[in-house]
Amino acid sequence: MSARLAYEAATVGYPGVTVVRDATLGVAPGEVVGLIGPNGAGKSTLLRAVTGAARVSAGRIILSGEPLDTLGPRERARIVGVVPQTVSAAFAFSAREFVLMGRHPHLGRLQHVSASDIALAEEVMERTDTLRLADEPVDTLSGGDLQRLALAQALAQQPSVLLLDEATSHLDLNHRLQVLDLVRDLADGGLAVLAVFHDLDLAARFSDRLGVVAEGSLGPIGSPPEVLTAPLLAQVFGVRAVVGTDAVTGAVAVTPVLREEAVTGDRCGRVLVVGGSGTAAPLLRRLHLAGYEVAAAALNRGDVDQAVAEALGLERVDLPAFGEIDARAEAEVVRMAAAADAVVVCEVPFGRANLGNLRALGRAAARSVLIGEFGPEREFSGGEATDVVARLVSAGAVTVVDSGEALAEVERLTCACGPHSDR
Amino acid sequence: MPVPTRVRRATVIVVLLAVLAASMLVAIGFGAVSVGPPDIGRAIARAITGEARAAGDAVIVDLRLPRVILAALVGACLASAGVLYQALFRNPLADPYILGMSAGAGLGAVIALTATASATALRFGVVPAGAFVGAVLTIVVVVRLASMRGTLDVTSLLLAGVALSYVLAALTSFVMVFFRESMASVVFWMMGGLTAASWPYVFMVAPMLAAGLAVPMSATRELNLMLLGEERAGELGVDVERFKRLLLAAGALLVAGAVSVSGLIGFVGLMTPHMVRLIIGPDHRLLLPASAIGGAIVMVLADLAARTVLAPVEIPVGIVTALVGGPFFIWLLVRRNGHR
Repeated sequence: MSARLAYEAATVGYPGVTVVRDATLGVAPGEVVGLIGPNGAGKSTLLRAVTGAARVSAGRIILSGEPLDTLGPRERARIVGVVPQTVSAAFAFSAREFVLMGRHPHLGRLQHVSASDIALAEEVMERTDTLRLADEPVDTLSGGDLQRLALAQALAQQPSVLLLDEATSHLDLNHRLQVLDLVRDLADGGLAVLAVFHDLDLAARFSDRLGVVAEGSLGPIGSPPEVLTAPLLAQVFGVRAVVGTDAVTGAVAVTPVLREEAVTGDRCGRVLVVGGSGTAAPLLRRLHLAGYEVAAAALNRGDVDQAVAEALGLERVDLPAFGEIDARAEAEVVRMAAAADAVVVCEVPFGRANLGNLRALGRAAARSVLIGEFGPEREFSGGEATDVVARLVSAGAVTVVDSGEALAEVERLTCACGPHSDR
Repeated sequence: MPVPTRVRRATVIVVLLAVLAASMLVAIGFGAVSVGPPDIGRAIARAITGEARAAGDAVIVDLRLPRVILAALVGACLASAGVLYQALFRNPLADPYILGMSAGAGLGAVIALTATASATALRFGVVPAGAFVGAVLTIVVVVRLASMRGTLDVTSLLLAGVALSYVLAALTSFVMVFFRESMASVVFWMMGGLTAASWPYVFMVAPMLAAGLAVPMSATRELNLMLLGEERAGELGVDVERFKRLLLAAGALLVAGAVSVSGLIGFVGLMTPHMVRLIIGPDHRLLLPASAIGGAIVMVLADLAARTVLAPVEIPVGIVTALVGGPFFIWLLVRRNGHR
């Protein structure tokens, strides 16, 4: 189906300022397209260009088959409804009167709102959960109520294109989902929706496609899993993130791990971390932030520690999901242990699958730090792991109670290399 | 409170018109010679039917009636202009004075007045034209100054208006010093007064009021939408830039009408819409006509006070409105700050 709203190589901005160059994007009926990107990248400007609040200086925008500049404001307002980020209501109109203002483009010059206009207004108020506020003066309502009233006002325009500019920013959790579910429903009913999101998880959950606005241009555009990748998030937002799948909604879920520019520590030295099942994730992050060169011993794909290590870009040995450490992987870990100034073994249980990580530390025992006593609750290898740990301890490995103490031990083990020595 | 029904609107308008009629009767009756309503009615009836005049008729028909009607027209002009600017700028403190339009109309009128000092017959055409040109030029300059950074935003518009007011006031004083012989009458006119009221003035202002009100009265829904902010009004289908120009022109006509017959009368345009809004709400379908009538009532009573309080000495009516309106303005400011 052809697009209801199409940007054709549109360059948008304000007098004397170009904000987004050469944007090309089509939004079809029934589709929700989300725009994501850093603050100030021009997401809102792209929306504002549709209602004439920002200028199109090159290319063009097509609305329902008509070039935007051939449409008068009233015609345009019968096609496009907008829900702005903030709604101002300084004057004491009732909520019903406020919503009825959305009927303006459909009313003649001296025509008054009719019973059917009022019925329509009350219907959209019902759908946005604002009908109970109908007789309240809008200047006494909360930001969240106003935002839902603005949606009702936009729906009273009976638009075929809906623009949402961070339209759930003032809503509580319940109303946010309610409004976005409603928008999804409306889209399924044939509305074309273009929405600016700050929340990447919401964007992924409610959008059919996502467009990235960054550094003055629009693109890449694609399905949420295509667009929301760790390298893109690092490039666009400067954030190392774990991109996974939300266990409940099945949508792409983004968990930021750290900001690119946040690595400020001046520690040096190489640290190998043996972890798994999330026991190492916080330590990996802290060591990385402190400035150490961190490596992770063998981890299964799908493990939280593996995802964090990948997001942080650490040297590591990846195993297939549920795979065991084979001879080749163990040899890798041996090599990493030999190169490390310090080795930290987190409070992970050991079984047949990951025993290799422990065995590989034999020659680095004197530089090893074990977090927590190794008790039967961590022994799943029939006693073999207990023997290996005993050998490590007798060869000089230190046991500490928590990761705080482990950090202190790491500092002690790496201090020989000095703050700026280059290995 | 649901959408104001026709009945409600009609009731408000009828009540206000009745109050206006009563105020006008009282104002016509008061003066050096007191006249009762029956005599006023008979005198007007005789004037309309062309019957021979009775002894006191001249005072009523030639002096008090045009003066009271003119006061009502001026009041309606000022209050309507206030409503338009308050909607345009979404600010209940806005009025023609803050924008510099009154000062601009004043300068235009003073230039016209001094230029035609010898030919008084020309004044009726030239003074309002000068005032209109002054008001329009002022707003054009103010809008240009304010939109130098792109779109016309309200804060820079108000700042430009205030700044230009000072320049225009200085220029007006300069013109007055230059034409010393007419300074006394100009100064008195500048203070705001209706002493020169006569029927030709009435017939001059009435069409300006009608024309200045016609456009906004046919666009009350757009006026309401402007209260949501220019961007939102645009999103909802208002051709904002064009509508703003239309409103500024209509307002300039209203300001020119008022200024050219009565000089600079302050606070009516600020006070009246505000009081009316407190009572009937912000909907312009009712607010605009109700404020026009309310402004007429305020002005008729203010002029009555101006000529009776210190009788036989007459105070310029601008002083009366300033004495009442100044404290009102301060009260508004204090109340607004209290909200923050």
